[in-house]
Amino acid sequence: MNVIAARGLKKSYGKKSSRFDALRGIDIDIKEGESVAIIGKSGSGKSTLMHLLALLDKPTEGKIGVNGKIASKLKERQVNKLRNQEFGFVFQQFFMNANDSVLSNVILPLKISGISKRERKNRAMEALKTVELDDKAKAKARDLSGGQKQRVCIARALVNNPKVIFADEPTGNLDSTTGEKIEDLLFSLNLNNRITLIIVTHDSDLAARCDRQLHIKDGKIKKDLAKPKASVKKGGRK
Amino acid sequence: MKIWDVITTANSNLMRNKGRTFLTILAIFIGSFTIIATSGIRTGVNNYIDAQLDSAGGEGYIEIMPEAMRDMAQSQMGFGGGDEPQEYDPKKNSAEMRAINKTDLAKIRKIKGVQSVKPARNVKAEYITSSETDKKFVISPQALPSDRINLDIAKGKDGKPDGRLVSINDPTPEIDLLPGYAKALGFKSDEDAVGKTVKLGVVESATMQVRTVEARVAGVLNKSVINMGRSWINTALEDKILDITYAKMPQSYRDQVYFATAEWDTKLGDKGLEDIKDGLKKLGYIGMTMEDEVGMVKSFFDAIILVFTIFGGIALLAASIGIINTLFMAVQERTREIGLMKAMGLGKGKIFLMFSIEAISLGFWGSAIGVAAAYLAEVIVNPIAADTFLSGLPGFELIKYDITTLALLILLVMLIAFLAGTLPARRASKKDPIEALRYE
Ligand SMILES: Nc1ncnc2c1ncn2[C@@H]1O[C@H](COP(=O)(O)OP(=O)(O)OP(=O)(O)O)[C@@H](O)[C@H]1O
Ligand SMILES: [Mg+2]
Repeated sequence: MNVIAARGLKKSYGKKSSRFDALRGIDIDIKEGESVAIIGKSGSGKSTLMHLLALLDKPTEGKIGVNGKIASKLKERQVNKLRNQEFGFVFQQFFMNANDSVLSNVILPLKISGISKRERKNRAMEALKTVELDDKAKAKARDLSGGQKQRVCIARALVNNPKVIFADEPTGNLDSTTGEKIEDLLFSLNLNNRITLIIVTHDSDLAARCDRQLHIKDGKIKKDLAKPKASVKKGGRK
Repeated sequence: MKIWDVITTANSNLMRNKGRTFLTILAIFIGSFTIIATSGIRTGVNNYIDAQLDSAGGEGYIEIMPEAMRDMAQSQMGFGGGDEPQEYDPKKNSAEMRAINKTDLAKIRKIKGVQSVKPARNVKAEYITSSETDKKFVISPQALPSDRINLDIAKGKDGKPDGRLVSINDPTPEIDLLPGYAKALGFKSDEDAVGKTVKLGVVESATMQVRTVEARVAGVLNKSVINMGRSWINTALEDKILDITYAKMPQSYRDQVYFATAEWDTKLGDKGLEDIKDGLKKLGYIGMTMEDEVGMVKSFFDAIILVFTIFGGIALLAASIGIINTLFMAVQERTREIGLMKAMGLGKGKIFLMFSIEAISLGFWGSAIGVAAAYLAEVIVNPIAADTFLSGLPGFELIKYDITTLALLILLVMLIAFLAGTLPARRASKKDPIEALRYE
């Protein structure tokens, strides 16, 4: 089943003479449990595509389906709920509340969903255990190393048991060893929890670890490569 | 997000920039405090005046003066007259018009509801003294216009009143002393003075010679605003003083009066009083009850209070601009955080609510601290005031609050804060998560 599907996606910025077409017609189907890399040069439209798929932004043209429902037909409330409960986000620049504790950063999505105080603490601690940072729960987010910060962000992304994790250059700000650890973490979630991964990256090594690689150039998909060995898994792709 | 979480988040956000939050609260505090304190003084003063009015009774008693008299008084005080010379109009300006003549007194008596009329004669004394002392003291005696007046008599150590108010129809000349006079006149105490004899010096107008007249002390008055420094005397003493003042002069001098007082039937109620006032107006007179007079004092005082309240209001206005500014800065600083929360599915409404609650909290704390400080001022200032400049006015609590006003003020300030907060809160709620996350 497709978690996310897109048809004829176009996105333009600006108007008239200053108009810029960042995406020029994209079709994708992403299956449940898949790991997909969106790869391409800077400015090719990777982040724009990810934002559209994550329903953070609206396409100029085209349709997006999530769980078989057409996103543009959903009410704002439903979209918010979807993002809160089915999606998790990891960004290159971490985006944490630096002055808050690690725990309250991880708790934030649960707080937004309106989960009770006790339960959200338990679940946040569990998520921190998964990224092996439960001992840092009380530390201030700003005092962590880059790798630790990104792990906290992963804990925050998975705390609501999402179906999909969107990661925009999750290793872009990290050295290669730390980056690898983050990658391992993401792929273990993909494998163990069947969380669909959509990873935007420059890094061809990271892209190679994914089931699929979507190569974007000038707002279009140039190549859609399956991982050589695992490509037949779950009936392949259509 | 649960509403309780929105509230706690909003408040912890306020604590992030303590200095800025403190300064904003301070500004709201200043405005609120000014308004509360002035309204407290207003309540205190009004309560006191009302209490005085109540104790004075004065029900069924009205003071009368010719309209021409009032006009003259007003033009002398600079109201309405202007600098230009006014043309003489016998209907308005003649001395005759300023006095109340005998026929008019009779006409006033005939107004429906009026039970008696008493001309207020011009009673003057040079001094007061007693056989206990060589010293003489100034005094301004005034004939008690009506038995219906019930002025405050000082209470002695035993808590009982020292004497009583003069009795108008008593054949013995009587006087009520002002506070402090008993001791000055050589009596041991207020209580001791009651029943004793004092002497008043009165000038014979025709010869300018001073004669004395004796009077019995009926009681000692408490200080009060309504009293206005007058020593009340009964009709017997009034007649004796007038006998001296107008000796060797034609009777017409003695009959010339500018004021009169009337007693009216209170059973007729407010409507009856209005009718009497209308009747007086037709005759060219103005009737004023004690309440009307006090009302004038009150409205003058209220005008002063209004000025202070406006100052407080302006301070609050400035404070609301402070709230707007503070929150705009907060929105700017927290752009990324807002974007993140929106990305994670927090709705517009909740973000608007969060910033609104920050604004409302600022308003609440500013006004609540204002209320607390105003309460502290009451606790500290009232006893000091009572011991110093209000020492002569027992029972005068300078500042007095009532709970509903305080609660309403806090609510009002919270509402103002909310309204001020809507602008930044709207901006926050409209932030586009992607723009916000891109923001460096
Ligand atoms: N809000 C915007 N207004 C105008 N142009 C935009 C806006 N957002 C993105 N663009 C443009 O769209 C194009 C695609 O941007 P996008 O951020 O998707 O690139 P990217 O592939 O993620 O690049 P990078 O690897 O550097 O992050 C770029 O040329 C960018 O300048
Ligand atoms: Mg990008």
